[in-house]
Amino acid sequence: MDFWELTTDRIKINDVARRVVPPECGATVTLDGYARRFTTRDTKVIETEYLVYEAYEEMALKEMQKLVERAKSAFAIANVGIVHRTGRIEIGETSVVISVAAPHRKDAFAACEWLIKELKRTVPIWKKEVYADGEAWSEGEAAE
Amino acid sequence: MVTKVLFFGAAADAVGERSVEIAELAGSTAEEAIVRLRNAYPLLANQKINISINQEYAPPNAIVDDGDEIAIFTAVSGG
Repeated sequence: MDFWELTTDRIKINDVARRVVPPECGATVTLDGYARRFTTRDTKVIETEYLVYEAYEEMALKEMQKLVERAKSAFAIANVGIVHRTGRIEIGETSVVISVAAPHRKDAFAACEWLIKELKRTVPIWKKEVYADGEAWSEGEAAE
Repeated sequence: MVTKVLFFGAAADAVGERSVEIAELAGSTAEEAIVRLRNAYPLLANQKINISINQEYAPPNAIVDDGDEIAIFTAVSGG
């Protein structure tokens, strides 16, 4: 089955990965995106204490559904699952999981890479980085 | 008629609200709506913003109708 969801709970990565598996497939590629403590910006290393994600939920779900549909028409894959967490996320905790099941791994890898790239460009979710001495909204890549 | 406008992320911080009601926005294009909102909330002028109508990205010439849900936001940064 395909699915796209938002949650404020901790994401169980293995559950996401297993839910996409059908009998005709031989490989699932799963991206586990999690909160990074250190980010280098203009040679300066910035230390993040935690992240806060905000979503325009109704539109985010619509855009996630579009991504799943586009991926399935562009790649030889069977099922896609996407779960994005919102709210406060501690360092090392998972913010997004994308699992792609395919008959062959090559297609699953390519589709998973395409999906995360497009998600970061089109799905209305915003990340705020909170530091010891302030906070900043992460600057996204150009949208449409 | 008033149109409900939602703000997210950095745009919500710039406006200081998450949702406002704007009179007589219906009939405007998406581009005109952005100009009006930038005039009403000058801090939005510093930001590159997107507009959606009824939860779809709106091209500049899209028309705002009565009862539409408008949202204003900066470049998305999920993942």
